[in-house]
This record gives sequence, structure tokens and C-alpha cells, in this order.
Amino acid sequence: MTTTTESFVFEDARVKAPDTSIKIAVVGKGGSGKTTTSGILARALGRKGFTVVALDCDTNPNLGVSLGVGDGETERLAAIRQVLDDEGVGHAPTWNELIERFGSDAPDGVRLAVVSRIDNPEPG
Amino acid sequence: MRVAFIGKGGAGKSTVASTFARLLARRGRDVVAVDSDPMPGLCFGLSLPVVERPIPDEAVVEKSEADEGPRYRLRPGLDATTALRDYSLIGADGVRLLAFGKTRGEWGDIAKGQHAWSQILSELPTDGFDLVGDLPGGTRQPMTGWGKYADTMMIVVEPTAKSINTARRLATLQHSRWDYHEIVAVVNRGSESDDAQMVAERTGLSVIGVLPIDAEVAIADRLGLAALDTAPNCDFVAAVDTLVSTCLTRFDQPSAASRRSS
Repeated sequence: MTTTTESFVFEDARVKAPDTSIKIAVVGKGGSGKTTTSGILARALGRKGFTVVALDCDTNPNLGVSLGVGDGETERLAAIRQVLDDEGVGHAPTWNELIERFGSDAPDGVRLAVVSRIDNPEPG
Repeated sequence: MRVAFIGKGGAGKSTVASTFARLLARRGRDVVAVDSDPMPGLCFGLSLPVVERPIPDEAVVEKSEADEGPRYRLRPGLDATTALRDYSLIGADGVRLLAFGKTRGEWGDIAKGQHAWSQILSELPTDGFDLVGDLPGGTRQPMTGWGKYADTMMIVVEPTAKSINTARRLATLQHSRWDYHEIVAVVNRGSESDDAQMVAERTGLSVIGVLPIDAEVAIADRLGLAALDTAPNCDFVAAVDTLVSTCLTRFDQPSAASRRSS
């Protein structure tokens, strides 16, 4: 699938910075389509041959659904922040280690990771 | 009754909450619409403008170092009922809107109003006013107790995987320390006959209402108006009115808060 946005991002990145990565954040009102847009954009870039990390920064994470990994895997994905907090890791892991350890493979070569999730009430 | 609407972003919480509050008020009740969303939403359905600082700084005093408790308190002599009357805005159908303000500038500026807002809700007598709350989308505010003024949590769910995932996460509020009387689901933008069944099966929640997808709501949203004003006889409004009846039958009894205190 080729969208106007995807073509623009792709061409712009290639012209301006052929050897570096691009970082895109998708923002907007609830329900306006951020997750759906992010999922399509990530997979479209993956299909173009980019190495893509899709990072779900929503505390109510649903990007896995839009990427096509399914409900179950979306719920199973542990959040990086919670696991690191629980472990009390002494040293700061590198970006690559985090994506390797916490990521999950989505279609079109996209690697999906969740930053932080809030899906249980605060303990009493 | 004290209800709060929660759910995924864009599920229709503000639209449902404002319509629900107004239809309840039309039955002769004193209704307070409670807004804790830092982005404006609920005001549109109540025909009110966006107000950035509805609760002024002089409503509160800062505690001294020696005292326990929250940093700001309502100023001495100002009780919750008076503060509510002074700092709520009166919208369509006489519904009062209690909000702490909207963030367009520094978040820090809003802290005094937030403390006053919380204290008003925790100290407001349980008889007299019905509360209809609207929380921001997602799990953060509900999971940290922002809806604890409510007895009943109503999770607005669209018949989509993402909305159902969110509802399933929010359903864990039944194990929270806030002791909600009931946590139920309301289907919004329903279009298939098995929507209610699907939502019930996949969330484990009881579905107490189904609000249909309705082009009139989309038209009103586009204009920033309430469907209750632009299309008062539309299917969506009729379904919310049925939901009001259901809630009056099911939830209009001594509140959990008053049962706890008695």
C-alpha cells in the first residue's frame, strides 16, 4: 500500500539523511486514528526495506492490534518500563538490548515494543 | 446516582456523558457533570465555552509545613456545596459543569484547582446532586482513582478490538480499593445485532445499553454542537434516554459512599 504520507516520509528521508534513521511520533485526539496510522506507516516502511521499530508509547497499548500481531500477543507483550522497574536493573541497557529482549516480531519485518502500560488499578 | 464514563479515547465518553447528564436533568434532577479531562470535551455537549480556570486560586489555601494531607485545601469556611455552587458553570438544561481547568499553558498552574476539585467531590453530601463524570480516554486516570467519586463505572465500548481490549483492562477496576458498586459496559456506535453479546463475552462485563451508530451524531460533532440540540429525535438520543431509565432503576439507591459511612 502506498499512501501520500508514506511516500513523502520515504523520499524526504532518503534525500536529507541517507545513512541515518528517521524518528516519527504520531499524536492527536483519542480515536482520531493514531494507532491505525502508525501501524500502516511502520509496515509500509518495512516493505520498502527499512529496519523499523514500532514503539507503543500509549499506557493503554493497542499498536499490536493495528500491526496485525493479534489481540493475544498485544496483551502478552510486557512493558519495558515495568520489567526494568521490577528487576531493579543496575546498569542502563542499550537501546538494542531493550528492543531485542522486549520486542516482538510483527509482519513486514517490523519489531514492536511497548514502553509502559497501566492495566491494573493502583494497589491499596 | 453517581456514575462516571470511562473507555478508550474516541469511544464517545464526552458525547454520551453530556447527553446522559442533560436527559437526567430534564427529569427534574440536580445534575453535576464532572470533568477531569485536561483537554476540552464535555463542555461542547453542555453548550458551554472552554474555560481555562473555572476554580480560581483564591478558593484554596496552602497547608503549613507541619500539617498532614494534601498541599492545598479549600479555604477555611468554604464547604464543598458552596464551592460547587460558586465554581461550577451552568450549562444546557441546568446541568452544572465542575471542571478544574484546561491545560494550554503550564501544567503547574492547574494544581490548586485540581485539589479544590478533588476535595469538593470527596466532601459533597451524597444526597441532593447526581454526578455524571467524564474521564480522559485510556487507563491512566481510572487506574489512579480519578473516578472514585462515582459508585458506578460505565465503560463506553465500541465494537472494535482496540476498544474491547481497553474495556477488558478497565474491568480490573472491580478489584480496586475504591469499592465501586458496579462496573458495567455501554456499547457505542453499535451497528450489528450481536455487538452487545460480543462485548459482553470478550470483556466479562454486563452490557446495560447499546447506543447505535448515528449520522446525526457525526453531523453535530462536526459542528461542535450537541446532537440533543441539532437532532433531538435521533436514534442516539433515544437510546441514551433509555440508558437513563435503566440507570435510574438500577443505580438510584443509597450510594456506596453513604453505605460505607453509615
